[in-house]
Amino acid sequence: MDYLDLVAESRTLDDSACRLQLRVAVLADVATQHLRPLLQVLFARRGARAEIYEAGFDTADAEVLDPGSGLYRFKPDIIVFLSGSEAAKISLYAAHDRSAFVTGAVGRITGLWENVRSNCEARVIQANFVLPSERAFGNYELKVSHSTGSLFAELNARIIEAAREAGHVLLCDLDHLAAEIGRRNWADETLWHLSKGLCRLDYLPLVAQALVDVAMAAQGRIIKCVVLDLDNTLWGGVIGDDGLAGIELGDLDAGEAFVALQRFLKELKRRGVILAVVSKNEEAAALAPFREHPDMVLREDDIAVFIANWDNKVDNIRRVQEVLNIGFDSMMFLDDNPFERGLVRDLLPEIVVPELPEDPALFLRAIGDRGLFETASYSSNDAERVAQYRDEGSRERMRAGFTNIDDYLRSLGMTARLERFKPFNLPRIAQLIQRSNQFNLTTRRHGEAACAAMMDDPAVVPLTVNLADKFGDYGLISVVILVRQDASLEIETYLMSCRVLKRGVEQFVMNHIFAYAARAGVERVIGRHVATVKNAMVSGFYAEFGFQKLGDDGNGTVTWGLAPSLYTPRPAFMASQTMEL
Amino acid sequence: MDRAAVIERLTGIFRKTFGEPGLVLDDAMTSDDVNAWDSLTHINLILAVERGFNLRLSMRESRGMKNVGDMIMLLEKKAA
Repeated sequence: MDYLDLVAESRTLDDSACRLQLRVAVLADVATQHLRPLLQVLFARRGARAEIYEAGFDTADAEVLDPGSGLYRFKPDIIVFLSGSEAAKISLYAAHDRSAFVTGAVGRITGLWENVRSNCEARVIQANFVLPSERAFGNYELKVSHSTGSLFAELNARIIEAAREAGHVLLCDLDHLAAEIGRRNWADETLWHLSKGLCRLDYLPLVAQALVDVAMAAQGRIIKCVVLDLDNTLWGGVIGDDGLAGIELGDLDAGEAFVALQRFLKELKRRGVILAVVSKNEEAAALAPFREHPDMVLREDDIAVFIANWDNKVDNIRRVQEVLNIGFDSMMFLDDNPFERGLVRDLLPEIVVPELPEDPALFLRAIGDRGLFETASYSSNDAERVAQYRDEGSRERMRAGFTNIDDYLRSLGMTARLERFKPFNLPRIAQLIQRSNQFNLTTRRHGEAACAAMMDDPAVVPLTVNLADKFGDYGLISVVILVRQDASLEIETYLMSCRVLKRGVEQFVMNHIFAYAARAGVERVIGRHVATVKNAMVSGFYAEFGFQKLGDDGNGTVTWGLAPSLYTPRPAFMASQTMEL
Repeated sequence: MDRAAVIERLTGIFRKTFGEPGLVLDDAMTSDDVNAWDSLTHINLILAVERGFNLRLSMRESRGMKNVGDMIMLLEKKAA
């Protein structure tokens, strides 16, 4: 949010299509002309066309006290009171009796609020004061009750106290904003002396955004539900592969960072924000940490709607939205995976999808940041709402998927590389073979030496798949081992990282398996599903590709077969860099 | 920074700030000569100059410039 860019944008702003209209009056003892274009652009970004009334410089009292003033004729929905600390300092230094200063200043402000309430229906947004950085007493400043620092702190505290009692008054915490930037950077003494500027112009967009956030919250535009991914978002690792003891939570690896995020989410839930889960997992595996992991902060009853399956996330978020019956614009989606974030942003543009950094320690900063969790009211009823939604959620029946994500997949610019094992890849191959539990058809744990031996075996075609897209390089994500047996080609091992599920890699690989089988002149391709406690998700894998069931040993192993001539190549949305197999 | 380089960079800043793509600077130019140049956009101009030349102007410097020629001279001295 660059000040000059926003000013340029305001010159060509067309907010006529905005459905919400807001009349906003700004009353200030600082210059407000520079704020106007910023407010208009930032309101428009939230879908509101803002009519702005700028009262004359330092005319708040006259405007508010006179029932026939321009302010009231304007019929504002929102009245903003913005006071610069520089102006307040001048009157403080001029005061004969400092002990009366705070009471006088607060009395004046609350008097304005009262007058507004008796003259119109507007909500008030009161900005607090940015604490001055200069201290005549140094660190002793706060020991002296009438020092500038003490009096400003007291002033802010008393304004907050009064605002808690005044239902029509909302706060804009400018001092918090300035402290985030650093008060020395925030202040622009030159601009104040030259033209009564509130702060350095670079930070004025933050002031405008804060005002917009509060005003929109007052219109009911708030985040009511946070939809959570699980693996690598609420904990580190993949529950389906790593198991309950293997996921990062608490002391394990980056576990504390995930616990910190969960604590904040729990605080949101206490505030009345609904938490939902949408995860690509088996439901039992996804629920296990909520029920059994000692370091989980969030428990099953904190989650109003819990969806764990292998459908795409857009369908699942739609289901959450239907259960809760709230707008997509009041939902936020948290996912560590840029593919999923991109998919949801693409197909559900209204939902709020914050970028999450790679480092889980920074997740909290990314979402606890300004603006995302505004509200304009709070009551203890809010916190009870979750229980009510939980009841509805448990009654909801899952509907069939309906979103076609092919266009999105095409837009990703995916490139897949299928190639034979290379010595360089052996450690990664062995690691993937050890770790993959869910998308793993036969779960045969070949070690590195066994993998190396396959490279020299003429009957074996050991393959790896690498995938990259516009979000980055996923590296080596799949291992497929084909074994030639007489007239058959058996898929001895087929495993893949669940991170890249349902993007067309499965189709891409199967197309190549059958192309190879046809070239090799085999009669059929054989595949097996060897059931484990974790790989139920691929039990129907071969059936989906048109394989016929050849046998079931009654012990969990089902054998499938398909002739190359009967295979129909599937669409895959990726460019191929396949080497000669 | 030499005069020609200052003028070139400053011209770009003026054009963008005042939304006049054909604007040409001359030393005698003041806010009277440019439509969009008023007390409001002057503040934007100062910020754009500070960013464009990577420097901060003091209060005296901001106040002391009587025309574009003064601004060019100041930037010749001050800009690296």
